[in-house]
Amino acid sequence: MKATALLALACLCTVAAHAQNPPATARRPAGAPANPRDLSGKWLRTTPFQTYSNVKGGANEFQNDIVAGRKPDLNRDTGLKYSEPVFTSAGKAAFDHNIPSYGLRITAPKDGNDPQGNCDPWGVPRMLNGQVAGPHAGWSILQTAGKFIQFSGWHHDYREVWTDGRKLPSLDEAEPRWNGYSVGHWEANTLVIESVGFDDRTWLDHNGYPHSDQMRLTERYRLVDADTLELTMTIVDPEYYAQPFESDVKRFRRDRENEKAFDEQIYCVPSEEQRFNRLIRDAGVGKVEK
Amino acid sequence: MHRVGRVSALIALIAAAVVPVAAHHGTSITYEVNKTITLTGVVSEFVYGYPHPQVYFDVTDESGKVQRWGSEFGPTPLMMRNMNVGWSRTTIKPGDKITITCALHKTPGATACLAREIHINGALVALNGDQAKQVAAVARPQ
Repeated sequence: MKATALLALACLCTVAAHAQNPPATARRPAGAPANPRDLSGKWLRTTPFQTYSNVKGGANEFQNDIVAGRKPDLNRDTGLKYSEPVFTSAGKAAFDHNIPSYGLRITAPKDGNDPQGNCDPWGVPRMLNGQVAGPHAGWSILQTAGKFIQFSGWHHDYREVWTDGRKLPSLDEAEPRWNGYSVGHWEANTLVIESVGFDDRTWLDHNGYPHSDQMRLTERYRLVDADTLELTMTIVDPEYYAQPFESDVKRFRRDRENEKAFDEQIYCVPSEEQRFNRLIRDAGVGKVEK
Repeated sequence: MHRVGRVSALIALIAAAVVPVAAHHGTSITYEVNKTITLTGVVSEFVYGYPHPQVYFDVTDESGKVQRWGSEFGPTPLMMRNMNVGWSRTTIKPGDKITITCALHKTPGATACLAREIHINGALVALNGDQAKQVAAVARPQ
């Protein structure tokens, strides 16, 4: 039983730390990648922000206070570096319209409008944020000749990136899509993906940052070592942001053990989600239903 | 359950206990996290679905009035990981008598809550690491 207790304690500490901070030093460096242009694998976010960028509240660092009804001290030293985007007036209006269930504006889902509440698509870049806490925070990459595919196990979605040399369509040519239209190329050992043609119903992240259908997204992926992938993103969306909107530097660790394979059986099922919301989250239990 | 299995199961439960409820959206802000109620009732339905398993049950008050309640559990993936320590689609069945301690919904008068502890037909079924230790202690051969 002593061994069990020790294991339990170790697990408790590990998981708690993982949930709160990036375990940047928890693993030994993996050495240089055999092929710095092979990004295939399952990747889990280790950096703290669940949001597109390093906005205040993006790591759920004030959530306990807010949920408990305490006014959070937004000036306390969280150990995190923050940056806020510069909205246009239309962008600020869109941000105010989005009522999230995370972050500084956390609101009960029954009073919010996060597309996730109906199992609607996350879209890109939200799909890339690794927004789900802990070990579910990531996606898988499959590279083939001419195409790069990213799978989100949690939301059962994927996005395609053409790497066969084709050109990015113009904004006028690209019809809006949930995940946009993407092409990629290599600059040394950095994969650069450029995308346009986004459906503006998706949010950038679960804190409700918006984007318009004029958004241009650039992603940069680089293997730091064999088991560490770095992602930075830049949005240019003059309709909603007065300046280019940079993401934080996101790091992901390679999940060689496929730790949470059971997640493959997790689907966001609209009928289940909506019934759950109606009866439980919207407190309708007493009113309905057989 | 073999010893290794028991250890793994305990780890899974502890993980479930400490991973923030932010795994889904808005759980914590929906409930009075520091106010709980204990209810006893008869199960009408157990939903082992997405995004959180739910149990619906009828509570009869002293005057004989029956009120239907619903309670949600942890995110379904975490509950799935807990299958080996007692949770499955048939853990709760219609007709079972449950006693559940749960955090109250913030909506006044709501009959929905967030489960903290549950006894099914008199037996504690663990929802977190501490409860798993209690269950293991009871189950351990003397």
